[in-house]
Amino acid sequence: MIRLDGVRKTRGQGAQRYSLEIDRLHLAAGERVALVGPSGCGKSTLLDLLALVLAPDAAQGFALGGEDVAGLWRARQLDRLASWRSRHLGYVLQAGGLLGFLDVRGNIRLPRQLLGLGDDGSVERLAEALDVHDQLGKKPATLSIGQRQRVSCARALAHGPALLLADEPTASLDPVNADRVMQLLLREAEACQVTCVVATHDEALAHKAGLTVLRMACRRDTDGGVTASLERAA
Amino acid sequence: MRPLLIAGLAWQDFRNDARLSACAVLALVAVIAPLLVLFGLKFGLVGSLTERLQRDPGVREIIPLGGGRFRAEFIEELAQHPRVAFAIPRTRQIAATAELLLPAHGRGLTVEMLPTAEGDPLLAQVAPPDGLQQVVLSFTAAEKLGARAGDELQASFSRQQAGQMQWRRTRLQVSSVLPLAAFERDGLFASLQLLEAVEDYRDGRAVAALGWQGEEQGSASARVYPALRLYARELNDVEPLRQFFAERKLLVSTQAAQIAQVQSLSRNLDLVFWIIASLAVAGAVAAIAAGAVAAVERKQRELAVLRLLGFGTAALLLFVMLQALYSGLLAAAVAGLLYLLAEHGLNRLFMQVPGEFASHLLPMHYLVALCAVLLASTAAAALGGWRVARIEACQGIRDV
Repeated sequence: MIRLDGVRKTRGQGAQRYSLEIDRLHLAAGERVALVGPSGCGKSTLLDLLALVLAPDAAQGFALGGEDVAGLWRARQLDRLASWRSRHLGYVLQAGGLLGFLDVRGNIRLPRQLLGLGDDGSVERLAEALDVHDQLGKKPATLSIGQRQRVSCARALAHGPALLLADEPTASLDPVNADRVMQLLLREAEACQVTCVVATHDEALAHKAGLTVLRMACRRDTDGGVTASLERAA
Repeated sequence: MRPLLIAGLAWQDFRNDARLSACAVLALVAVIAPLLVLFGLKFGLVGSLTERLQRDPGVREIIPLGGGRFRAEFIEELAQHPRVAFAIPRTRQIAATAELLLPAHGRGLTVEMLPTAEGDPLLAQVAPPDGLQQVVLSFTAAEKLGARAGDELQASFSRQQAGQMQWRRTRLQVSSVLPLAAFERDGLFASLQLLEAVEDYRDGRAVAALGWQGEEQGSASARVYPALRLYARELNDVEPLRQFFAERKLLVSTQAAQIAQVQSLSRNLDLVFWIIASLAVAGAVAAIAAGAVAAVERKQRELAVLRLLGFGTAALLLFVMLQALYSGLLAAAVAGLLYLLAEHGLNRLFMQVPGEFASHLLPMHYLVALCAVLLASTAAAALGGWRVARIEACQGIRDV
């Protein structure tokens, strides 16, 4: 499902430089991993690369579901990247990333509408499974953070993506709620055979959820810049 | 790209930001409503003045001054001129009076005789008299005689020959009576043949058609007319016709100055309107473009999420432009309503003549105004909204 070889991404220069180097990351379809590491070690940058919203500076190989992502970026085929993202990707953002002008139902339904998929009851089913079914008519601003996160999970899964990315989905939650949201998300992802990459700083939670842990680390280089990498390749 | 889905999302966001949307709409209303009132005034006032001139055929009349000598062929040619609505020769003024009597009432009246024919603007909807024995009476003449359409009049024509007064009488049928506004003097509209017959009789010549005796007629083609009744087709045709006569050294009297005055007023108001409209539209476009820039900045997070979900640049730009379009539509509707209120008030205050307006707009004007507003809104939003192209999905999504 995911094949990254020699992927590089750098931001800034000199002491402000931040580089992410992924020598090898191969994940099979249905595999579920956690990117674990301290803040600033490149978890979100790696997720953005996988979400096709950030272009790599260099890549010996970068493929998602058989699609040559590196080639699409080189050819600047942004519409095909957006189309692939829309069709195959679900992304749970740290703060939910919900659209305030839509109600919960509208937020969950939107990825399906964008793909022209009809109403097959998956919105209600996911809302039920993630325990937000009684919030469907409400605007995100009236929800608690935990509820928003669960709505975000439902939205990420509504169109049946092949790849689910989650960026600190439980960071804003208390431990009880964090555990609950993670369990609900992964249960649904497993039910749909979705490949999962979850970024979290909570290694214990990742272990408890049964995720394969991939540690990310960073080092300070002689120029003062920072280079982040996957410590243990999958 | 799914335009209907984008339109729905843009509308929901527009509604969600109700206060800001209302501000954008009101800002546009503040520009559009005064422009509509201004244009309504220009169109209403100038339109009423022009219509008033158009309604009165006298304004389009060209009256030859001094003693003219016009041949029938020249007047016939003139009648075919594209700028001429109606032309007919006039006999000498001294021979163009008749003494009328309605035998039933015993009332008599001396009236002016005017030649008429098909297409006479003074007759408007009234059919012209047919033959030598039919006439159309002016309202005042009919009133004084107590005559109505269908009545038979006795007309007397006098002449002095060898120191003796002579009279001839003939019966004339009133085919119609003109409305007062068409001709306000005591007049009788008859065929040119009747006027020529009367002129011939007064000149001592015989009129075979009416059985009046006198000298034998000369050649008909040799007849020379001292004047003619001439009407321009449109107000704009009056001045060219005046020039036509001036080139032939013929002095004519026209209402060209009065027409020019109204046309000058129209031109000046046009200029004032377009200056104000240009400034206002430039301001509105700048405001909409600035609003679009601000909207893109304000909604950066939401736009980033939409991009993350698969929106392309064109879809995002459409999202921003549609919201400007909604503002434009609502603003046009509100401005239209405000204008209608203002129009009602202005017309009540300043206009007393039915059918005339101080402020007036045609449905076409509303349509043009709506299209202009939507076009300006969309173009200005596109101008300001191009910044969406710079929004990357990775920007801002961590904050929402």
